[in-house]
Amino acid sequence: MKVAATNQALALLLRIFVSMGAFVEVGALTFSIGAGARFGYSLVWVIVIGTVGIAVYCEISGRIAAVRNEPLFALIRQRDGFRSGLLTLVAVTSANALTCAAQIGAVAMLWQLLSGWPYRLLVLLALIFFILAVWFTPKEWIERVFGLLGLMMIVFVTVAVSLHPRWSQVAATALPNLPPFKTRRDGLLYGYYAIALLGSILLPYKTYFRASAAIEHKRKVSHIVPDRVTWIVGFGLGSLLPVSLLLIGADFFAPRQIEPQLPGGAALATASLFGIAGMLIAVGGMFFAFAGAAIEMALSGAYNVAQFLGWRWGKLGTPRSAARFAVSWIALLCAAALIVLTGLDPARIVECSVILSVVILPFTYFPLVVIGADRRIMGDRASGKLIKALGWLYFMLITLAALAVIPLFILTRVGKG
Amino acid sequence: MMERPLDLLRDVLDHTIVDADGAPCGTVDDLLLEGGPGQLLKVTALLVGPGPLVRRLPRWLERAAAWIFGRRYARVSWSEVESISATVTLRSPAAKLGLGRWDRKVGRWLARIPGS
Repeated sequence: MKVAATNQALALLLRIFVSMGAFVEVGALTFSIGAGARFGYSLVWVIVIGTVGIAVYCEISGRIAAVRNEPLFALIRQRDGFRSGLLTLVAVTSANALTCAAQIGAVAMLWQLLSGWPYRLLVLLALIFFILAVWFTPKEWIERVFGLLGLMMIVFVTVAVSLHPRWSQVAATALPNLPPFKTRRDGLLYGYYAIALLGSILLPYKTYFRASAAIEHKRKVSHIVPDRVTWIVGFGLGSLLPVSLLLIGADFFAPRQIEPQLPGGAALATASLFGIAGMLIAVGGMFFAFAGAAIEMALSGAYNVAQFLGWRWGKLGTPRSAARFAVSWIALLCAAALIVLTGLDPARIVECSVILSVVILPFTYFPLVVIGADRRIMGDRASGKLIKALGWLYFMLITLAALAVIPLFILTRVGKG
Repeated sequence: MMERPLDLLRDVLDHTIVDADGAPCGTVDDLLLEGGPGQLLKVTALLVGPGPLVRRLPRWLERAAAWIFGRRYARVSWSEVESISATVTLRSPAAKLGLGRWDRKVGRWLARIPGS
């Protein structure tokens, strides 16, 4: 009995650490550092709001999976019909492909930092690495290895702390605030960074991937509470990473007037404080975090397509037992690598991936909020008053963000001010 | 045992089809009904495949989608339906009904690769 309880506690702890290590991908990293370098601490509140939002949406999607044991995209199609479901599917898959491209580009840049090899060759090598990693590694090990080793990014927390931030000011900026702007353009740029940072934390692949994983791992109604703990604690701790990156932007890059370039900029900060060892840990952490995100995005895209069309899906069996699903994630990885190989500036791909994700956020989260609260589907496990209110509140927020992001993108000349 | 009348649009259309072995093998993409005006209207088959799906797209998209995915489909007799719940469960294995062909075909290609 005691052993079972200990095992359960350890499993919960593992899930929390994995969620924490998988919290940051290259978009969140770029916009956190950039926000700190341009606006000091003032955008910390966006990370707080984003973290609560992603925990709320993961809770809803995990609960739907546990109660219905039905794939989310199958439910979306059943409830909203083929056309409307297809619109959601296309929106989520395009965002997945572009955000996955951003991760592949970032991984190639990290390898280039260490090897000096040509970028395009490294993109191809990264693609081969991802395909082999997913093909040969069992699903739970993919999540564990990449999630846990992504925790090496904790080095950024150490860097942020050793830069002696003004903690009272950091705490004050955890609530929504508007700093004084010198020009109108500064105000627009602040809005652009706020929305992009929010979008990078609320990337939809996180919820859809976890909902499918919950079905694969046969999560039941009895797992709803431990899963809630995982989202709240794992994402809560995970949010320390973007907060630390924002502080590094404010306390390291802003005073030196350096425009942080991804992802080498983040490594530069660790190198200057902790030498080569610090840099290697940072690069290692970023590699596993970005690679884990790329794999989750590709798998999430394949899950969605397969569930929508009623194919066999899942990563627990062999690739040939769910053949079209396997071809889908390989195709998604290849499409993402092709986007990078077109020669687009990697920084621009990251930016565009986050902006596109913001535009489609309402399409992706609307079905979740509706299905989660639908008593005909969820019975007495339908969303309670608090989750329902938060779900709709965040839906209004992301709709406003989606409407504002393109005008801001143009008015700020692609975030350059 | 269903407590309310079967709502074809809500309970059947667009639901995942599961074969006798418990494997997903497509979705109910359309339904075939038979019976003229004033006669008894009967569901005779489930239509599964890109053909019926393409027809449900907006007209401007239909042609392009048909060109890419084709218009083929499998017809599964209504008498093959074992039960209707969250999914539509069939009495026979998918292969016997001409469903999940691509999964088997692609599966055979993948089987040649190590680790598959």
